[in-house]
Parts: sequence; C-alpha cells; structure tokens
Amino acid sequence: MTRSERRILHAVLLLAVSGLASGCAATAVRPWDRDLLAQKKMRLVPNPMVDAVDQHIYFSKEGSTGGMDVGGGGCGCN
Amino acid sequence: MSRPGPAAARADAVTASLERAADHFVGRFTAMASPCEVLVDTDDRALALELTRVAEREARRVERKFSRYRSDNLLHRINHSGGSPVRLDAETALLIDYAATCHEVSGGMFDITSGVLRRVWRFDGGDRVPAPDAVREVLRHVGWHRVTWDSPTLTLPEGMEIDLGGVGKEYAVDRAAGLLAARTDAACLVNFGGDLFASGARRGDHPWSVGLDDPESTGRALRGGFEFTRGGLATSGDARRFVLWQGRRLGHILDPRTGWPVEGAPRSVTVLGPTCLEAGSLSTLACLQGPNARGFLEQQGVEFRIL
Amino acid sequence: MQLTAASHPSALRARLGAAACLLLASGMPGAARADAGAGNQLDATTLLYAERNRTNVVEPAARLTHTFADGQSLSAQFEYDVITGASPSGGSPSGTPQTTTSASGTVKTVSAGQVPLKDFKDSRYAADLEWQKPFLRSFLSTLGGHFSREKDYQSAGLNGKLSIDLMQRLTTLTLGGGVNRDRVFPVGGIPAGLSDGTAPPGPAARSKDVTTAMVGLSRVVTRRWLVGLNATRTLERGYLTEPYKILSLLDGTTGLITGQRTEDRPERRDRTSLLGSSVYHLTDDVLYLSYRWYRDDWRIRSHTIDARYRHELGNDDYLEPHLRLYSQTAAEFYRFSLVDGTPLPRYASADYRIGALQSVTVGATYGFRVPGHPGEWTVRAEYIGQFGKGHPADAIGVQRDFDLFPQTDTGSLVVGYSIGF
Repeated sequence: MTRSERRILHAVLLLAVSGLASGCAATAVRPWDRDLLAQKKMRLVPNPMVDAVDQHIYFSKEGSTGGMDVGGGGCGCN
Repeated sequence: MSRPGPAAARADAVTASLERAADHFVGRFTAMASPCEVLVDTDDRALALELTRVAEREARRVERKFSRYRSDNLLHRINHSGGSPVRLDAETALLIDYAATCHEVSGGMFDITSGVLRRVWRFDGGDRVPAPDAVREVLRHVGWHRVTWDSPTLTLPEGMEIDLGGVGKEYAVDRAAGLLAARTDAACLVNFGGDLFASGARRGDHPWSVGLDDPESTGRALRGGFEFTRGGLATSGDARRFVLWQGRRLGHILDPRTGWPVEGAPRSVTVLGPTCLEAGSLSTLACLQGPNARGFLEQQGVEFRIL
Repeated sequence: MQLTAASHPSALRARLGAAACLLLASGMPGAARADAGAGNQLDATTLLYAERNRTNVVEPAARLTHTFADGQSLSAQFEYDVITGASPSGGSPSGTPQTTTSASGTVKTVSAGQVPLKDFKDSRYAADLEWQKPFLRSFLSTLGGHFSREKDYQSAGLNGKLSIDLMQRLTTLTLGGGVNRDRVFPVGGIPAGLSDGTAPPGPAARSKDVTTAMVGLSRVVTRRWLVGLNATRTLERGYLTEPYKILSLLDGTTGLITGQRTEDRPERRDRTSLLGSSVYHLTDDVLYLSYRWYRDDWRIRSHTIDARYRHELGNDDYLEPHLRLYSQTAAEFYRFSLVDGTPLPRYASADYRIGALQSVTVGATYGFRVPGHPGEWTVRAEYIGQFGKGHPADAIGVQRDFDLFPQTDTGSLVVGYSIGF
C-alpha cells in the first residue's frame, strides 16, 4: 500500500468509526423504536443464503474476495 | 389508584363504549378511578370493540388484584398479616421485585411502604400541616428496609402497609398493551388516566400525537406534546394536590425518609420510556429529585417535558 | 419545555429496564420485549448458472436451523455442485486449429483465432455447521466449521465471531476470525512452475492456508436507516497457483504459438477489503447500497458498487431489481503470453480472472408466497457481463488480429425457498 493510500484509508476508518460510534444526537433513535428495523428485510445481509451463492459466483469469476463474512471455505474455482 | 367511586360497584362489568374518530376508533371505559381510552388504528369496528373489552378486562383484573381498597385480595391479606410471612404468587412477586428495584435505584426515595403517611397529610389546598411528632410517629411504620422480602415470601411488620398505587396503573397499561399486541398487528394506544403506551406507527407510517395537559388550566388547555410511534408515556407532578404553608407550596409527593413533601418538585413532568412502567418510574423519580428533576432526567438520557 | 434526545444508557435505566422486562415478559404471549422463541427454519436454494460457451453449474443447497428457547441456535448446511463445460486454459489464440488435452481425458477442438478452452467436469460437496449463542444481553457468539471436497480440491475450516451490542443496541461491533486449510491434488500431480511439461512429476498434493480477520461496525442511524462498515484482512500462504492453467509461448515477431508453459504464482497473498453498506427503508420499499474497496499484494485493486431496490407489491410479494458494477486492475504478474527466447519472469499467469476486467450484473428477484401454503419463495434471474481489454497495445504479430479477452456472458437463475416450523 502506498503512503497516501494508507493515509486515506486511516482517515476513512477514523471518520467512519467516530461517526458510527458517536451519539449522532440529532437523529437519535429511541432504542425500542424498532418497528421497521425489526423486519427481516432490514438487515445488512437480508438473505444470507443467496448472498453466499453470489460470493461463490464472484469468487470464481473475479480476483477479489467477499469482505463481508468469515464463514465458508475455498474451492478450486479461483 | 385513588379513592374508588361508583366505578367500584360495577367493578366486574364491561362497560366499554366505542367512538369513531377520523381514521381510528376510540374505546372508552372507567377503571382505577380514571377515564381510560383505547385507540385502535383500524377500520374494523368489531376488532376495535373487542380490543377495548380486552383492555378493560385486564384493567379491572389488575385493579381487583392490587387495589388497597378491597378487602378480598392478596394485598389486603398482606396489609393485615400482623407481621406474619405471606407467600405471593408469581405476578405479585415480580411486581414487588420491580418496586424493590425502584427503591434501590432511587436511594430509598421510592418506597411502597410510604402510603401510611396519608394518615397525617391532607393535600386539599388548605394550610394545615401535621405536627413534627405526628410525622415522626407515622415514620416508624415507613421504610422498605424494614420489610423482609425473600421472593416469593413477604414479611411486613405490624402497622406497615404496602401501596402499589405508584406502579399499578402503569403496570396495567403495559399488560393491556401486551394483550392487544398478541391479538392484532394494528397499532394501538392504551391510555389509563394519562399513563399510556403506544405499540407502533399508525397506517401510512404516521406517529401518534399525544398532547400535554397544561397544569395551569388542567383539562382545558394543552401545552406541547409528544410525537412517537412506540413507547410508554407517564406524567407525575404536584400541580393538583398540594398545601400552602408559610407561603410555600408543598406538593403531595412525600419523601419517605423525612415524611415531608419534596420541595421544588416540578408541577408536571412527562417522560417517554420503552414501557409505561419505566416512564412512570422515571417521572416519579424525577419529581422526588425536587429542583434537580431536569438534571436527573438529562442524566438518564430520556425524552421528557417539564412544565 | 425541554426536548432531550436519548443518548447514553444509564445504570439506573438499565436496571429499571431489566426489572420491567422480567415483570412484563412473564406469562405474556408475544410480550413487549420478547424475542422469538424456539423454532426451526429451512432455507433451500438452487442455482442454475451458464456461461455462454463455457461453464455450466447446477448447485442445490439446503440449510436447517434450530433455535432453542434461550436464544441459542444450531444450523447445518449442505450443498452439492455439478460443474461442467470448459474454461479458458490461459493459452493464446493460434493461427491454426489447436486442440487441447484435458485432465479428464476429453478434448475440445477450438477454431483458430479463439481463446483455447479446457474441458472439465467436476462435482463438489460442502457441509457447514454453525452454533450461535447470545449471552449477557449484549453479546452474540458464533462458531462455525466448514468442509468441502471436489475431485482435486479440499477445504476445511473453522471460524468464530463475537458481536457486541453497544449504546442500547443502536451500534453493533463484530469481531471475527477464521482459518482454512485447503489441499490441492490435481490430476497428474502438482506441476513445476513455468515448466514446459518435461520436468519430472511433482508432489501429488500441496496445501494452502487462509487466515481471515474481520472487524465490523453496524449502526442504526434513524428509525429507517441502518449502515455498516466492515474491514477484512485475509492472508493466504501456500500453493496459490492454478495447476491446470498455462501460458502460451509466442514467437517474438509473428505472434504464432511455439510452445507453452505452466503458470507460477507467489506463495503468499495478503488481501484487504473495506465494505460500506446502507439499508434505507422508504414508506414501504427498501434501498440497499454498498461499496467495496479491495486491494491485495499481487497489486490487484478493485471497486464494487452494488444497488438493489426492493419494491413491495402488496400481499407480501416484492420485486427487487439489482445492479452491480465491478472493476479490477490486473495482478502484477498477469500477462497474456510469454515471448519465446526472452528470460522467463519469476511469476506469470494468463488467468483472465486476475487480469484487468470489468463486470456488470443486471437482474431482478421476485419474492412471493403461495396463498394457502406456508413458506416464502424467491426467484432471481441475472445477467453478468464480463469485459476486458481484448486488443492490448503490446499484442505481438498475429495476436493483434484476435480478441484476447472476449466478453463473457453469463446467465444465472436462483430459486429459493424458506419456511419456519
């Protein structure tokens, strides 16, 4: 990784972590106010099995790996 | 739960009436000496009526079980046990556990044994206050630390009384709301005398809008309100019941450690919480902080209004 | 009047909340705060995948999950793939018809001017086990195992995750790690790198170790908006070369094929990826957006943008169009071919999958329930187009006339079914 790339990476991570970890008071959500968030479709990965199929497809066609999960294994396709 | 009126005579009757508002139904009945409302966001009249009846039956059940005005319930047995241990059922035990937790987190200011102080205090707007000796005498029978609570067995010393009025109405609201939620996906708002719980957004993703009663002209005007989709709302304050003594206004919220009213308590504090129980406890605890009510609630990180 | 936004939990509120929870959850069906009780869930998918003139895959998979009353869950997943067809060998197009021999004994004749393909047929089965346990109200631990095997490849692994709910469950921190031990045992043994096939046979098998570490943060921003950030680092050590792929040796002037060499890749690969995702709930529909940045020490860099829009059709059915855009740069040692007479590089591969390429996926999912029957169905149809620079500036001689990176078109169909019982 080049130095400037590393700097950018650190800046993005710092911004993201502080943004995500702070109170974000202006748009505060009452913790029990989860009527919408409780739905199955309101997840970062709403359909894990189909997502796994996709990971397998793109792993065998491209040079990158998933980046979302640690589960699963390798195959002889890449 | 205050002094019973004619409603007590009809305690077992289901008297709900139903009224149609713009886009929802309002079921009304009287329970725990308070006007009660059940708002249901539906066009199904039969459903709204059924839900109102369910809420009314639950309100009456809780009232029957925990009212200190009845002579045929567990609470009466506890308050007349003469110092003997009483074995509680699961629900009562959990309610006592909750009250014990409130006592602990409030440093002793929330105390369900403090009801006996009403024997010496009359909050009728007059100017009579009890003599210090009289207060001291009654205080000998106040204090949760004197009670032996080893779930499910409660031992109340002779002369002491338990009053669940501080949690009973809020508990009834949460119970009724839970029963309704088990029967319908329609958004409901259960309001027992100003303590309420809303179970979710109305159709079209609209929040419920609850107005705050203006303590200066109670029942006639509103001052602001809350908009929310889910949660419990409860109001405490001494706007209505107080005595005037030496130019000072003493509210009806008593400090169980001194036997005297908390000074500087807010007229009206309304708290929004995840359940009506928690909202009610936090608003009561805020009043017990007197002039520091605002600071206390800010520290708890809850939404509130102080009027 | 005062409006104060909810921010930090206090010990007092936490205790009241716990006591209220106990009181209200007792004896109440579907109590205000109760989470789902014990139950089972079956998820099944079948993938039908076809690359034009190349690989075809049929892959059914099924997963069974049992959740206990205390929130623990155990799940088992099995999948079985059948892969047939042909994939590029890495060789260059020739001026004369060329045939290839394939490890499974079949031979595919390819007309002149086309990228040569190698026939194959393989089946693979995989099994995964996962155990999840929530504890202390804010923690969720996950442990998983994986095993898969095909004719010439085996993978076994263990992984674990810990999720921590912070700030009244508005923020979740996840830490995860995994280790995999893969073994490659190609037909004919492991070939020597960059050899012309005359070298003595190598070992029958070699292994590859993959270690992954992941940190994830997800945050509820508003009542309708959830965002997440994931950072993953993967270290691979061992045999990372493709044993069946080759590079053509070309005459330096004419570009005609004079021979071939096996490929050779480094024995280590360190990968880093950052994934940002967002889920936003409009009135009824949901918008999913994500961006992934990827880099590894083979000098491959990629960007992935993924967008889905779930449009609710009423009565529980939905239509979800999908667009994915992908772009990657070539690995450091990627090349189309080798030039006869020049010194061999240390590493080389003509595997198009580590070359510079772009990919576009367009598709849609239709989700529905069959009235009167339990379970949810999804049907997803997608097209994936993959492109690369087919006429590089440094193409030699006759190679200039050929498309060295032909566009691949792929169609896929996934049928899924989920049911709780």
